[in-house]
Amino acid sequence: MKKYRLTMFIVLVLCMALLLTSGCSTQQAAPGTQEPEEGTVEETVDVKVGTVGPLTGGAATYGLSVSNAVQIALEEANENNEIPGVNLVQISEDSEGDWSKAANAFSKLIDQDNVNVIIGAVLSSETAAGGPIVMDGEVPTISPTSTATGLTEGNPYLFRNCLSDEVQASQLAEYAVTELGLKRFAILYTNNDYGVALKDAFEATAKEKAEVVAVEAFMDGDEHFRPQLTSIQQKEPDAVFVAGYYTEAAKIAQQAAEQAMSIQILGADGFYSPVLVEIGQDAIEGATFTAGFFSADPNPVVQSFVARYTELFGEEPDMFAAQAYDAARIVIEAMKQNGTDRQAIRDGLAETKDFPGITGLTSIDEEGDTLKEVLILKVVDGAFQRLR
Amino acid sequence: MISTYYLQIIILAGINIIMATSLNLIVGYTGQLSIGHAAFMSLGAYASAIATLHLGFPFIAALLFGAVVAGLFGVLVGIPTLRLKGDYLAIATLGFGEIVRIIFLNLQITGGAVGLRGIPKQTTLLWVIAAAIFTLFVLRRILNSRVGRALIAIREDETAAESMGINTMYFKTLSFGVGAFFAGFGGGLFAHYFRYIHPNVFGFMRSIEHLCMVVLGGLGNMWGAMLGAVALTAIPELLRAGAEYRLLAYGAILVLMMRARPQGLLGESEQTGGSIRRKIRIFSRGADTLKKT
Repeated sequence: MKKYRLTMFIVLVLCMALLLTSGCSTQQAAPGTQEPEEGTVEETVDVKVGTVGPLTGGAATYGLSVSNAVQIALEEANENNEIPGVNLVQISEDSEGDWSKAANAFSKLIDQDNVNVIIGAVLSSETAAGGPIVMDGEVPTISPTSTATGLTEGNPYLFRNCLSDEVQASQLAEYAVTELGLKRFAILYTNNDYGVALKDAFEATAKEKAEVVAVEAFMDGDEHFRPQLTSIQQKEPDAVFVAGYYTEAAKIAQQAAEQAMSIQILGADGFYSPVLVEIGQDAIEGATFTAGFFSADPNPVVQSFVARYTELFGEEPDMFAAQAYDAARIVIEAMKQNGTDRQAIRDGLAETKDFPGITGLTSIDEEGDTLKEVLILKVVDGAFQRLR
Repeated sequence: MISTYYLQIIILAGINIIMATSLNLIVGYTGQLSIGHAAFMSLGAYASAIATLHLGFPFIAALLFGAVVAGLFGVLVGIPTLRLKGDYLAIATLGFGEIVRIIFLNLQITGGAVGLRGIPKQTTLLWVIAAAIFTLFVLRRILNSRVGRALIAIREDETAAESMGINTMYFKTLSFGVGAFFAGFGGGLFAHYFRYIHPNVFGFMRSIEHLCMVVLGGLGNMWGAMLGAVALTAIPELLRAGAEYRLLAYGAILVLMMRARPQGLLGESEQTGGSIRRKIRIFSRGADTLKKT
């Protein structure tokens, strides 16, 4: 037994040693720090940017997307020496998807690491817990993904850059009326929080400008939509808004075609998947939907981001990554305009207007919320094409 | 002046001391394996937060209100479930914890899935220290009395205790109620420190964390539960330097500690803590198979 304890003790010591040595891994001094040019003796100052999100646990995939995308944005800024004399350093903290742990991470970034700005948190509950902490610490914070309503209200230090279900549905309704000239709408929604939020917002906006003639629901994972489609067909709408995901949308399109319904199909970011066209084939042709991010966008900024992300992390960036990249770009822009101390970044963020992000034209309103012109995509010849 | 970050860890450790010692009364002294302690914490947190937000209670009244609500639920839940033994009781309390979490997730007054925001910040270090001392004092008085000896007798052998004239059902419910009362007390402090509460933080894993603190510190030892609470609050934060290996190392440390000292850091000898430890072992085997499915 005594011998056993000794071995255990040695293993424990080794574990601790491993931890101490791996301690540096969180602080990624992004490469590409500019050497001072000859003649000018310019010293580079480190400016710390914190990120908070789940890096372990069930929601880790979102947190990692955010942390990775921020890393790319900071590296690019350092390589191109976008802010002269400043080297941006990322400090990435894990929240485990637990908001009380996120609160610890926020406090640590503010007090121990002395960061100038925080990008995060990821889940709405994490950002809600961090809100009072960043307000007390007076550290500007921008969440790339927390969509809960009213999150940034009454907090001058909290901002966000994300696309809520309400915003995209109402923008789609507006676009459908003004740009596509549609007048009579039917809504077919999946009966969960996502579907209901989309349906409510679309219906409200569409009713103001045109007519909503039918509203039908279906359940997650349904296969047959003929009863709903038949009832919709009798009302003779111009378009049907499918508030749901791509699998159901594709099947709805096919079954509508089989019923000889020629109707414009509209959708939201739940449509964004190659599977939509794989299942939907010809029937889904012409479908128009909103999206948070379009990775095949010919825009060179998008392409270089996608290429770099894929090269570094071995997978295509998702919408969370794209929004985080934009959030980091907005922060860098604020630093360029206003300076790098906490108050300057806060003011810079608050003034953000018409920022040309990869997730659409972005402004920040007086409450710290995002005003974004969402992307609108269309299925043309079996591929997605950007309309707006 | 001490930095807010360290202050936050100390305050959390203080709240966890209240949670762990109150759970120790139920698990360590009475021998009833409860894994729904976080549910009582959330009841106290929500009740006290709603009391300050909507009913305009002063802080101390809100804290007591939260604790009383949690204690009442403890008694109400205890009466039927404490008739169960060992793993059956564990599963019943687990179920209760999930029910509470899901109800809070769907109620309007608790903010639903958005959580409850804008709770005033009232909890300070002084409050937490005072609350922890109060908790320890009351628990100590209970344990050093006739009630405490009855509880320990129930832990050691329920049938023998019953035959000695101890009303086991009464004392088990009492212990459960008092434990829940202090859990609710801790929850109130928690809510008024973070100024925000969301049901997901009071889930099954939080209950397990509290149980870990008690088992690691030593079942049936108040100093042990305190030490366990402080250790398990501080270790994950100390390991922040380890980035993605953090939780791996945390798990490894837990395993090593239990291997080196199965009776807990300050646990009593094998004889007294044996029966409840056996229950936990049996239960954890059950939980493993549960997780795999």
